Order: sequence, then structure tokens, then C-alpha cells
Amino acid sequence: MRMIGLSHIERFFPLAKAKFFYVLRDIDIDIQEGEFVSIMGPSGAGKSSLLHILGMHDHGWSGEYFLGDTAVHHLKAKERATLRNEQIGFVFQQYHLLDDLTVYENLEIPLSYRKVNKSERAAIVADTLDRFQIVGKKDLYPSQLSGGQQQLVGVARAIISNPKLLLADEPTGNLHSSQGEEIMDLFKRLNAEGTTIVQVTHSEKNAAYGNRIIQLRDGWIVEPHNLNH
Amino acid sequence: MLSEIKVALRGLVKTPGFAAIAIATLALAIGANTSVFSLINALLVRPLPYQQPSKLVLIWERFAAQGLDRIPVSPPEYLDLENQFHGCTNIAAFNYETFNLGGGDFPERISGAVVSAALFPLLGVEPIKGRTFAREEQGEGHDDVIVISERLWKRRFNSDPLLVGKSLLLNGRSYTVIGVMPAKFEFPIPLFGVQGNQFAERVDIWKPIAFTPVELKERGSRSYGLIARLRPEVSAATAQAELDTIISNWIRAYPDNYRGGGFGAKVYPFQDQVVGGMRTGLAILLGAVVFVLLIACANLATMLLARASARERELAIRVALGAGPWRLLRQMLTESVLLALTGAGAGIVLSIWGLDLLKRISARTVPRLAEVNVDLEVLVITAIVAVGTGILFGLIPALSSAKPELTEALKEGGRGSTTGARRNLLRNSLVVAEIALALVLLVGAGLLLKSYTRLQNIDPGFDRRSVLTAEIHLSETKYPAPANADYRGGEAMINFWSEALRRVRQLPGVEAAGCTIVLPLSGSNSDSSFAIEGRTLDPNEPGPDEELRVITPDYFKVLKTQLLRGRFFADSDNAEAAQVAIINDALARKYWPNEDAIGKRITFDDPRKDPKWLTIVGIVRSVRHRGLDVEPQPEYYIPVAQRAESSMILAVRSTQDPRSLTSAVRREIQSIDPDQPIANVRTLDAVTADSIAPRRMSVVLLGVFAVIALVLAAVGIFGVISYLVLQRTHEIGVRMALGAQRADVLRLVVGHALKLVGVGTAIGLVLAFFSTRALAVLLYNVGAFDVATFAIVTVVLAATALLASYIPALRATKADPMIALSHNA
Repeated sequence: MRMIGLSHIERFFPLAKAKFFYVLRDIDIDIQEGEFVSIMGPSGAGKSSLLHILGMHDHGWSGEYFLGDTAVHHLKAKERATLRNEQIGFVFQQYHLLDDLTVYENLEIPLSYRKVNKSERAAIVADTLDRFQIVGKKDLYPSQLSGGQQQLVGVARAIISNPKLLLADEPTGNLHSSQGEEIMDLFKRLNAEGTTIVQVTHSEKNAAYGNRIIQLRDGWIVEPHNLNH
Repeated sequence: MLSEIKVALRGLVKTPGFAAIAIATLALAIGANTSVFSLINALLVRPLPYQQPSKLVLIWERFAAQGLDRIPVSPPEYLDLENQFHGCTNIAAFNYETFNLGGGDFPERISGAVVSAALFPLLGVEPIKGRTFAREEQGEGHDDVIVISERLWKRRFNSDPLLVGKSLLLNGRSYTVIGVMPAKFEFPIPLFGVQGNQFAERVDIWKPIAFTPVELKERGSRSYGLIARLRPEVSAATAQAELDTIISNWIRAYPDNYRGGGFGAKVYPFQDQVVGGMRTGLAILLGAVVFVLLIACANLATMLLARASARERELAIRVALGAGPWRLLRQMLTESVLLALTGAGAGIVLSIWGLDLLKRISARTVPRLAEVNVDLEVLVITAIVAVGTGILFGLIPALSSAKPELTEALKEGGRGSTTGARRNLLRNSLVVAEIALALVLLVGAGLLLKSYTRLQNIDPGFDRRSVLTAEIHLSETKYPAPANADYRGGEAMINFWSEALRRVRQLPGVEAAGCTIVLPLSGSNSDSSFAIEGRTLDPNEPGPDEELRVITPDYFKVLKTQLLRGRFFADSDNAEAAQVAIINDALARKYWPNEDAIGKRITFDDPRKDPKWLTIVGIVRSVRHRGLDVEPQPEYYIPVAQRAESSMILAVRSTQDPRSLTSAVRREIQSIDPDQPIANVRTLDAVTADSIAPRRMSVVLLGVFAVIALVLAAVGIFGVISYLVLQRTHEIGVRMALGAQRADVLRLVVGHALKLVGVGTAIGLVLAFFSTRALAVLLYNVGAFDVATFAIVTVVLAATALLASYIPALRATKADPMIALSHNA
């Protein structure tokens, strides 16, 4: 079943003298449920911009965007936010953990924003800590963790509310290679369990974890191709 | 909610500098508000400590044609009203009295009052021991009973449980204590703007009224205050209408006593009389502290805006994780309300200290000030203000951050969002508002200070330096009152004053000594009507009634009052000599504008019935008696040797610190009479200072608030310019790399501050122009638009603001261009 359908997606910024700068041009993409897609391309190609459109962080685009059967392009900003909360998890290159919250509280916060009651939150967070084997770190603050551990927590936070779609923007960009491998192995496992993953990456090695690569250059899709595993 | 509080606390603990400045700012602002709320609550809002105080009224008379307003009533008039005024359930008369309390280790002068038996039931306060007066105890020969205050009972009698029923010696006469009134009971309360004892001390002894036969005959001898309780169904307006009818009847029945027209009586709500005069001053103070609070809010809003910029990433993450705008708002407002409540707690402590200090300085001269405290009502209002303040200063930064631009904030190397420009505009606007409000406060304080300084420097017509004063009240038993109604006789009194002055003059350091019945600027007054020889009394015109001073010959020497014509009194102006008087130039101008008043004669008697004439022998320069800001009134002086008085104020001019004479003076007085205390010892400087104490309180308070506002505005400017320098570090680096010198960087930064100060000052001047009109009633000899004050204040504020911006500007010039260039723009 189709998870994501993009049709004629364009993103531009106005410049002086009625000119425009196009970040994305005529993007058409279909992503099926359970796929693990990597978006690659040189700097400035529009990869992160595309990911932020998929994650509904950016609303200044034109075209059609279907998430499942839902026509996102017809939704208002508040409706998109609700849909995002229900269906999408996001992993950031800089982890973006909240520095004033412990690991436990960082994991809990997306559930609290989704009005999950306290006892249920406690149960879910406990399960997630266990699943990611970070129970012993639950009372530590992000500043007390290594980069890899922080990203691990970032991934745990992204999937804690069971999203159907996981978006990752250069998830290993700030990590050592061994830490990066751990994260990518984790992604592989999540994908095997049924989570659809779309990642932005510069790394061929990371892209190889997925089953499809979409190449972007100057805002255009150049050549999507499948990786046979 | 608990998690928001936890996160907010953690955030504040992580930034102790910011938290400390914010809490200190709030403590000052909310503390100032709490203090003024306490003042307003105690002085204006809290009802007087009597039963149903809204039904209590005072009744004062007036002689409009003679410019006499709010004057007391005479005993016959009181008795008539008791019978005729049906709109009241009770009506009681009262007058101040002083008592020399004998016995014990030392005699003591105690403030007291003579009151009708109806007074205590009228006020509805029960004694804590014993009883109050019965009606039969009112009247000569039956009035040997007293009620004392709990304060006196504890202080002087160690709360003796058996005191009720015991006798005390007052003014040489024995009185039985029949009751003790509770500590909270106070009557009469010092009343502003009413002829009589403006700064009377708290009363500790009450004695029943006992009108003498002379008093009962003299319808025109007015010295008693009247208080009444209106019937529940009777309004003040209805009571006034009935009173007007009664007065009309009196005028018809006793034409000789109400000559000249314009006589009337008015009903005054009691609470209004006690503190009504303070309403304007308190309203101005309330306005001032609200300004201070707004400035503090603006300050905190700018600090939180800067903080919000730094938290943009965190807020974007929260939104990306699912937080709605309301959750973000709640998070940020929790922090600001928490800051406000902590600041309020510190502010309440500051307020308690401040009010204590204020009470110590001004309790003597501001009615009910001793009752002011931070009570539950004030705490509740403070808590509401704190929460409201927290929301107010937190709202702008919270709203500006509630919908962060996610893409910019979340991207790698994201420089923050385009909301930066909007926040800068908000910050600059808030600082401009702070400067404008601070200017208004400073102008107000400046005007009051100028007015107060002018008042202090007024020449009152006498030299107030180096003079000690002390009240002496002779007991009627040892020093019997003159037998005649005209005050002649009373040799015992006259001899006492003469001997007292003789002894005091011999003390080392004494330059001159004299006595008077009222001191200038003391709040007390005395007047009497008289007739002028050769001028026929027109039945339709009021006779002369001017302020009377009974003095000893050297009194003018003590005060260094200037003699304009004629002579001063001498020792030879005694009871056997011809009666004499001295007048001031105001009285001379009023009654003998085109002739020499020396040699003219006046009398207190009916000039048609063999009067005793007083010859005017001297004209002195007028002194300011009613107030430094009140033009001198006509006054005339009579020697005590020709008009005996039992209560006088001793005034002693000294070559050294006059206070050093206190013990010696007391010793000399008690060497004449061991049972004779002296009381209310103070220098004439202190008397003068007390007369303007309420103004002083306004000046001090407004001045303090204005300084707080100035400091807050300076902190605001400092914060904004510091942040500007931080934001423009990269730009400054580029400029320096391109050749900008230190002066160019200073100009860039200070120039920005100048723009903010300029706009703020311009707006502030316009606001000040409109708002200082409210101050006009408090100003003396200073216009509400005094150009000099406006100019000085503007310069001071601008200079302070520029100084505050100079420090971060200087920091900017020291930046290393290479470091600055690598700073994220």
C-alpha cells in the first residue's frame, strides 16, 4: 500500500525583482509501506527541504502530498500537526534532545503532548528504555551521554508513539563510524518490524541499508533506483 | 502542570544570573506595590474600628462670612442638638484634654479627652475591664471617674488586675478608674484640616464632660467636637436637611450669637474626615507604583525575549514532538509566573521593612499610619498582582515563540528564525516604553522635590533654629482658673509662668525664654472675637474674629520676630497696668489699612456696656502659623499677666544644641512644683518639619519609586544594547576588518541607544505633560509644567541611559575581528 505520494511538489523562495529561487522542482515520488528509502545528493540539492516537507515542518510548498489516503495539501496547519503527531517520527542529525530533561523525560514528552495518561506513559517509556537497553541511563541528562547514546535516545523518542513513518535527517552525521553502524543496524531492525523509513544521507554505506535511493540535484530528482537485497 | 513547574525551576537554576536580576526587579516593583496597597487598605479602605462606622458623622459649624470653616460647637449648642437632632440615635461631644498623672516615680503628662457619656455606646466598643460612663457621671461634682487605655494600663500600671476601682491623682485631683478600653480603640482620631489639634497624640485617659456654669451660658464659646450616629434609615443628606432647619431656628432664637449671616453647620462622614485629605496623595502614589510595575514588566519582557531567542531550538523541538501553541505558552508562562511569585515573596519582605521604617518616621503625623501592615487582604492582592505580572511580562515573549519556524530552527547550522527581526522590534519598543514611563515618574518626583525644597526654604517669619519647646499644663486644683469669664485673675498661674521663666533664663546656654498658648506650625490654633473702638457693630455683619495668642514678654525675643512699630510687651504690662495688645501687620492691614494702628483700642466685651479696652502698643511682622504654604493670617497677642492661662508652651532659645537643655528645664520646672511634668519636648525645627511631614512622605516615596524606575530603565537599556552587540558581533567584525576604528564601533552601538532614548524621551515628555496636572494639588510655588525640572530630568535620564549603553559598546570595541568574523551571523 502506498505510504507517501508526492506529485509536482515545488518549493521556492522569492528574491528581489520578482525572481524566485527554487529549492525543489517538480518532485514526484511514491513510497510504499515498509520501504527503506535513502535520499541522496550534493549539498544544496534540497534533500533536507524535501524531508521537512514530508515531516510537515514546512508548509510553504505547492503540489500534492498524500500520506496514506490523506490529502495533506488540503489540510490546515493545525490538522497537519495532528496528523504528524499521529503518524510520523523524526530523527535529527543534531539529536535535538531537550537539555533540561532527563532521558526518561525526553522519551516521555511526545506522549505527554499526545495526552497519554500518566500511568500509560510510564509503561510505554519503561518498555522503550528496555527495548533500547538504556534503562540505566534514564535519569541522566543529554550532556552526560555520548553522541551515539544521544542519537539512540533520539531514535527511541522518534518511535515511542509507534509512528508508521520514520524520517531521519543525516542520523549518523555527527557520530563515529561504529556508533553510526549501531544506529543504522537499529534502523534496519525497525524497518524489518514494519516501520517505513526515509533517510537523508551523504553516505553510500548508510544508503546501502535501505532498498531504494532517490538522487536529488539542484532540486530535481535525477535517478531513483532500487537496491536489490 | 507539575512537569512544567519542574522544567521551569530547572531552567532558572541553570541561569542564576538571569533569575537573580529578574527576582530582584520583581521584588522592588511588587514590593513597592504591596507597600502602597497596604497604605491604601489601612488608610482608606479598612473601616474605622467602631461599630458600623459608615453611620458615624462629625458635625462642624462654620461662619462663612468670616472665612471660618469646620469649627467646634459650644456646650449650649451641643445640648440643643442632643434634644433636637432626631436623625441621630446618639450624639456625643468631645474635647482634647491633658492630664498630669501624679504618683509613681515621676509625674507624667498624659493625653486625654473629655467626652459625653454617650460616646462609648455610640462608637459601639466595649471595655475589656470594668465599664464606661453613666449619664449621671457627666457634670461638675460627679465627674471624678476615668476610663483608661489598655496601652496606659500595661505601660504605667503593669496590667494591674485590680486597677479598676482604684484612685489616681490627675491634675492634683483624685479620680476612680472605672474601665479599661482595648488597645485597638482610639478616639478622638487626629483629623486633618480641622481647626484644633492636627497632630494630637493618642488619647490614653477619658473623663466625663463637666460643663461649667460659665460654659453653659456662653453660646459663642466653641471648643467641642461633635460625633453622631445616624439612624439606620437616615442618610447624610437627610440629616443635613434636618440640621439646616435646626440652625435656622437657632439664628432666629439667638440673633446676637449668629450675626452677620453665613452661619451654618454641616454633617461630615467620619471616615472621610480622618483620611480624606490623603486620597489625592495616595492616588498619585498608586499611579507611581503601577508605573514602576509596568517598567519592571517591560524589563523582564525584554530579558525573556532574549531568552526566548536562545530557546528557539528547544521550542522548535517541542513543536516537532507534538506540542501545540497552548502547551508552549503554558510552559513559558509557568516560568514567568514562577519568577513573579518568587519576586513577590521577596517584595513582601521588602515591603514589611519599608512600612516599618515609614511608620517610625511618619506615624506621628499621618493618621492611622500605625495601623498599616501587610495583612491577609494585601497578601491576596499581592498574589493576584504577581500572577498577573508574570502573565503580562511573559505573554509577549511567549506569544512571539509559540509558533516557531521549524525548518530554520531545526536545520543543521540553523541560525535561528526570521522571527529575530520581530523580536528585536518588540525589545526596542519595550525599552522605549520603559524610558517614557521612567521619565514621567522622574518628572513627578522632581516637581515634588522642588516644591518641598521651596517650602522648606520659606521664611516663616521667625527663626526656628536652636529653640527648644515643651508643653506645660497646670493642674486646676493647684492653679485655680480665674473666677471671671474674662480670664483676669489666676495669680497662681501667672506667678508660675513668671517663676518658671526666671529660672530657665538663668540656665547656662539660654539666650531667651518665653511662653505662648500655641506654637506656630504646631497644628493648634486659638481665636477670639473682639470689637474695635469707634466702629459700630452692624447686626448684619459678623464682628472681627481673629487668631489670638497669649504670650509672655520675651516670646518675640525667642522667635526673633521683627518689631515693625511700637514696642514689645514688658514685665510692667501686668494685671494692675492698662490692658495692652500687640497685633501683626496682617491684622493692621485688614482693620487699619490707611491709618496707624498704634494707640487704637479693641475689647472682648460688648463695646456698648462699659468694656475693658486693650490698647495696641506694637505691630510685629506676621508669621506663618497654619502652614508654611499658607499665607500669614491676622493675629493679635495679649500678655499672660493680663489673661491667665493654665496651658502654655515654653520656648527656649539656646546658644547650643537646644535638646541638651531638656533635663535642665525639666529640673527647673519640677523645682517649682514636683508634680508638674513637661511634655511633648521638641525643637522648633522639629515642629516645622512635622508640619510638612505628609508632604515629606510623598516626596520620599515618590522619589524612591522614581529612582527604582531609573535603575530599571538603565538595566533595560543595558540588556538591549548588550544583546544588540551580541547579535551584531559578526557585522562588527566585518566592519573592523574593513577599517572601522573604535570610535566608529562606539558610534554604531551608542547611536542605536541614542535613537531608543530619543524616542522614549519624546514620548515620555508628552505623557509627563498630561500627567503632571494630577500633581498640581501637591505642589507649592512650582508649576506642573516647570521647564527647569523637565529639562534636568530629561538630561539625567538620557545620561543614565547612555552610560548604561556605553559599557556594552565598549565591550564591542574590544572584540577580536577574527573571532567576530567566525561568529555565527
